[in-house]
Amino acid sequence: MIKTEGLSKTYVTKIKKGLFHKEKKKVEAVQNLNMVINKGKITGLLGINGAGKTTTIKMLSTLIEPTKGTAIIDDLDLKKDANEIKKKINMIAGGERMLYWRLTGKENLWYYGQIYNIPKDILIKRINKLLKLVGLFDDKDTPVERYSKGMKQRLQIARGLINDPTYIFMDEPTLGLDAPIARDLREYVKKLADEEEKGILLTSHYMNEVEELCDYIYVLDNGILIAEGSAKELALLVNDHKILRIEIDELSFELEKAINNICTQFSGEVKYTRREQHAEIYLTTKEDVSTSIATLLTQYNASIKKFLSEEPKLEDTIISLARREKNV
Amino acid sequence: MYRFFWRVVKAEALKKHRTTFHSKLVYFSMLIWPILTFAVAYFTYKPFKLSAGAEKVGYLNDNNLVIFILIGYIAHMFFHSLVQSAWGFSSERFWGTLELIYLSPASRLAFVLGNAISSLFENVWLFIIFAIMMFQFYGELYFPGIGLTVIGTITLIIPAIAWGMFLNALFLFSRDTRILFTILEEPMELFGGVKLPVAIFPLWAKIISYIFPLTYSIKILRRIFLKGEELVQLLPILALISLVTLIMIIITILLLKSGEKYAKKTGNMALF
Repeated sequence: MIKTEGLSKTYVTKIKKGLFHKEKKKVEAVQNLNMVINKGKITGLLGINGAGKTTTIKMLSTLIEPTKGTAIIDDLDLKKDANEIKKKINMIAGGERMLYWRLTGKENLWYYGQIYNIPKDILIKRINKLLKLVGLFDDKDTPVERYSKGMKQRLQIARGLINDPTYIFMDEPTLGLDAPIARDLREYVKKLADEEEKGILLTSHYMNEVEELCDYIYVLDNGILIAEGSAKELALLVNDHKILRIEIDELSFELEKAINNICTQFSGEVKYTRREQHAEIYLTTKEDVSTSIATLLTQYNASIKKFLSEEPKLEDTIISLARREKNV
Repeated sequence: MYRFFWRVVKAEALKKHRTTFHSKLVYFSMLIWPILTFAVAYFTYKPFKLSAGAEKVGYLNDNNLVIFILIGYIAHMFFHSLVQSAWGFSSERFWGTLELIYLSPASRLAFVLGNAISSLFENVWLFIIFAIMMFQFYGELYFPGIGLTVIGTITLIIPAIAWGMFLNALFLFSRDTRILFTILEEPMELFGGVKLPVAIFPLWAKIISYIFPLTYSIKILRRIFLKGEELVQLLPILALISLVTLIMIIITILLLKSGEKYAKKTGNMALF
């Protein structure tokens, strides 16, 4: 288990204020973060850009030293036992970097295996196993520069597993990938937690990905932990409102007025979009008004094309949480 | 621990070799460029009578000019290849692979050493073959015996590797590697005494020339293979080059340590 205790990082940046004068500015990247990452579970770390996700991952990876606080990784202290911790962890980042393009997939894994001092016989078996796991065994002798984006990303996953880490930190692992490839990668990630018992910390901009994969989520904003829980718990945390998405053939001004009345009554908000062939209504209210709206539409003889009552999404939660923090 | 260190050195050297020698054309360019620059230097001297300068450089004459320049160029090849390779090594930072190296428990010194060894041997062997052929052809090379030949070779290889390690560490943490490359590339050839003997330099140029370890290596090689000096006569300069090598290794270790410390503190891998 990884347990962070008051983990904090403050950067000091220098800003030029003239030819010879520089002003120091403190940036609190992460403040007093307490979180837990369990083996066999996928833990999400969310937040809008600059929230402190990458700094947190880099601190846990021993690449950046915390200013305050620490983390205990299977009884090892992040500050004192950095070299032992390095053997237990690995990091996978999105994009096409972190690989040697002129080497083949197999050579890349061989190189990274060497720098972890993995015994030769184990390394050979592991390389073959990992290449099969990520579906690159047939392309193992092809230089990485000839790999597609998806293949490179799959090789990154194999690379991140070369030292058989107990914990893997994944920073935007599906960044820039096409939907089918991203879906395959999500499958690998799930397998790693379910079958290989790896503890995974995942950051992603794709909220559906986080919703689908993560057992528990931490939400950061400006370096501060503002919420935590499962995707469902988080959605309920701020999204106590209901969403109605309606499409009708024609929207009369009388009907609009009647909908506005219901909306005001239930402290909601409504947005209308009139298109050439139809009109769209997007309604958010504190309580479920679907029955009242459906009755109203029938009364006004509106021809209903779509009538959807939607569950609040994690994405809305994150945005609402971030907004709420700014207003506080 | 010791075995792990050398395993990383070997892995890094092989990785470096595979990433550099991806095409047969690389082997061709390795030989063509040094031969061309050597030819330019030789034919620049050719029209002039060298005996005029014999007062300052007694051993240099019209007959051993080729050997004089060849020795300069062999030594230069060793050190020059490392400047170029260190420039390439700095890309580890941009490609994020440096982060992965830092993520591993491997010795950082092993990386710079492995990279330097690989850069050195893969870049010089072809030119050495060419030089040996030239030595055979001109026959003006003095053979000082196996002992001094080995010493001469060691005083070329070890300082060159230390120079490579130092440059790798320097380029790895430098924000603008182009400046370093410009500072080190051309001046090293000029002040190192590759084409001109350092003895004829004015004092200010002599001071600059002793910044480059190449100067010491060339001087030792010429004193062994052209002047025919004995080990006793060489001892002071051998001690000097050992000291310079040691200083380079110490600076390399310090650079690696401060670069990593700075990266841990600021999240930025560019130290200067």
